[in-house]
Amino acid sequence: MLKIIIPTIMLIPLTWLSKSNMVWINSTIYSLVISMVCLPLMNQFCDNSLNLSMLFFSDSLSTPLLMLTTWLLPLMIIASQYHMNKESLARKKLYITMMILLQIFLIMTFSATELIMFYILFEATLVPTLIIITRWGGQTERLNAGIYFLFYTLAGSLPLLVALVYTQTTLGSLNMLLIQYLAEPTVHIWGDSLLWLAFMLAFMVKMPLYGLHLWLPKAHVEAPIAGSMVLAAILLKLGGYGMLRITAMLNPTINFMMYPFMMLSLWGMVMTSSICLRQTDLKSLIAYSSVSHMALVIMAILIQTPWSFMGATALMVAHGLTSSLLFCLANSNYERTHSRTMILARGLQTILPLMTAWWLLASLTNLALPPSINLIGELFVTVSMFSWSNFSIILLGINIVITALYTLYMLITTQRGKYTYHIHNIKPSYTRENTLMLLHLAPLLLLMIKPKIILGTMY
Amino acid sequence: MNPLTLSLVLTTMISGTLIVMTSSHWFMTWVGFEMNMLAIIPLLTKEHNPRSTEAATKYFLTQATASMLLMMAAITNLLYTGHWSIMKLINPTASTMMTMALTMKLGLSPFHFWVPEVTQGIPLMSGLILLTWQKLAPLSVLYMIMPLINTNLLLTMSLMSIAIGGWGGLNQTQLRKIMAYSSIAHMGWMMAILTYNPTMTLLNLYLYIPMTITTFMLLMLSSATTTTSLSHMWNKLPLITMLILITMLSLGGLPPLTGFLPKWAIIQEMTKNNNILLPTLMTLLALLNLYFYTRITYTTSLTMFPTMNNMKIKWQFKNLKQTMQLPLMITISTLILPLAPIMMILE
Repeated sequence: MLKIIIPTIMLIPLTWLSKSNMVWINSTIYSLVISMVCLPLMNQFCDNSLNLSMLFFSDSLSTPLLMLTTWLLPLMIIASQYHMNKESLARKKLYITMMILLQIFLIMTFSATELIMFYILFEATLVPTLIIITRWGGQTERLNAGIYFLFYTLAGSLPLLVALVYTQTTLGSLNMLLIQYLAEPTVHIWGDSLLWLAFMLAFMVKMPLYGLHLWLPKAHVEAPIAGSMVLAAILLKLGGYGMLRITAMLNPTINFMMYPFMMLSLWGMVMTSSICLRQTDLKSLIAYSSVSHMALVIMAILIQTPWSFMGATALMVAHGLTSSLLFCLANSNYERTHSRTMILARGLQTILPLMTAWWLLASLTNLALPPSINLIGELFVTVSMFSWSNFSIILLGINIVITALYTLYMLITTQRGKYTYHIHNIKPSYTRENTLMLLHLAPLLLLMIKPKIILGTMY
Repeated sequence: MNPLTLSLVLTTMISGTLIVMTSSHWFMTWVGFEMNMLAIIPLLTKEHNPRSTEAATKYFLTQATASMLLMMAAITNLLYTGHWSIMKLINPTASTMMTMALTMKLGLSPFHFWVPEVTQGIPLMSGLILLTWQKLAPLSVLYMIMPLINTNLLLTMSLMSIAIGGWGGLNQTQLRKIMAYSSIAHMGWMMAILTYNPTMTLLNLYLYIPMTITTFMLLMLSSATTTTSLSHMWNKLPLITMLILITMLSLGGLPPLTGFLPKWAIIQEMTKNNNILLPTLMTLLALLNLYFYTRITYTTSLTMFPTMNNMKIKWQFKNLKQTMQLPLMITISTLILPLAPIMMILE
């Protein structure tokens, strides 16, 4: 694993020592090279994991997320070039350094063996993200957004620290590979419920669960494009990844503790999708759609069937790429009109047809069109939810329809119809932007061919 | 201050603390405390204004009361056991009184009222000495009498201190008061673990002192005493704004910075002793502390030019202050979490 971590750390001196005209180029190219180095990790055993050292391991669950993380760094750097153009050289380098630092922590989080190391790095990802959101966000609301982001996540995860330390003293070890064997289901006492809550709330806040999702629209909307991308694509998946790892320890309490969270997720999924239909702010629409998709992931993880775990993993990877792509598309609108209001930049198909192609593909994957991997995720989750409870199909079906509704609403408002009268201000698409969209879409579409990679440990 | 006077005062202060640390007779402990207190009074009144005098008076009154309470506790112990030895403070009345005396010296709740007011009235350097060096003597005595302290009393006081340190600092814009409330909260953390595993108390102390020294050194570089004056720093010393950011986050106990290590160690020791609800409460209350540290970083570094700071640009003088020890202190205060296994040498 060091062959990925050390080069990523070395990206920081690379950034600071580059000449002013080579900063973006160097960091983008070398972070792409690092993501190529990450690819051999895909060579997994089907019933075991690659135990690379005492500290790091990778199995079929962490590898797709790790790939997503390393793939996303060059994309973030490409996306940030426009709005960082006017800043001084030191600030540009500082921005890239924050992204690289976040990348280092994320790589270490996804490959951590010990749960407390996972926890420390999970918390460590908050600091660079806070700095990216608060320092380089656009509006004054970003201060509030940063505080909400930091404190929601911390308040949820501090009980997790206590629970992890307690479990270590009772179980003896928190090595992820061992706990599935060490933890035995026992007779339930009510303190177990509190312990379960302590474990799960941290990840629920991160996902986010519907009642605890207040930080997400703020943070996603106020963050600059790189911040939005990394938040939507990876940081939410940290919650899902944590939940998937920890549920190995949580029987049998989970069998009844899950009901409140299932209810919140089922209802929240429909609620947040419905809110998307009434949004005027484009980024806010995409942020709420993230909450909706992640509610599906939460439900899938809570019911703990093999199909649902496969669906959760696939949905996490697919949603990561799709959501990040949508944010990049929204950002291309923002760069042109300097406003996030959807109706200000409508009818774009007549002016930017290639961008419309990307919008179309992004919207199609967002509404889980077959045979995209989004569909695989949602389908597996829906089927396993149906087997858990027949009635849930009603809400799930409603959600799928509303997802299609708001996605098409977003597509039609921005692309179709008559263009606005201030249209002459809109510059044509840069090659950089088209590259960015293609680099998002290519994995998304290619994974259709072999979805086994993203189906996780239960395949 | 006249160098001769300064050296005399500092020597007395240091030797007072050393006498406390090395004594085995309660009388010598009292002597050490008194020497320490009397010597620091001139340091508190370095600037001759009424506010400093008020601060020095408040400090003197509380510390003298605490010393008297300490003497009373020692004499109560003498009454019941017949000796002055420090290690054998067996009588519960004496032990409780001694704990209260020492926590009064430390500025633990409910005896915390003097800390913000005294810290506010004195110059930054004296504030630094007050919040770091002055904690050493009482903590060493508490460490020595540790087995005989009433755990319930200490845990109540520490939980109250963490709560008060958190909530008290929320409404402050004066940096010295913020550091005072930070000190109250950190003392609370240190006292919570004292009766379970005093090594962790010492660990917290060894990390709290560098972090506080770093913060004060950063503040002294631009003589900033209010949040407003810190927000001017982006113009004069832009690198320092970044260092304030990470030092504040470290003080707040955010992983992966050093400040997380004592909190983690304390939580671990408390859960090993089956005390689970209390560390949860303590960490959640520590979030209040983190809030006002983050708020400081907002005005200082996270809202830098050109996006927005309403602060006027000041005349830029050449910076002549020495920053020699600063890199070392910054490194200690923020980067030594990976060295956590070295804690083993404290065992």
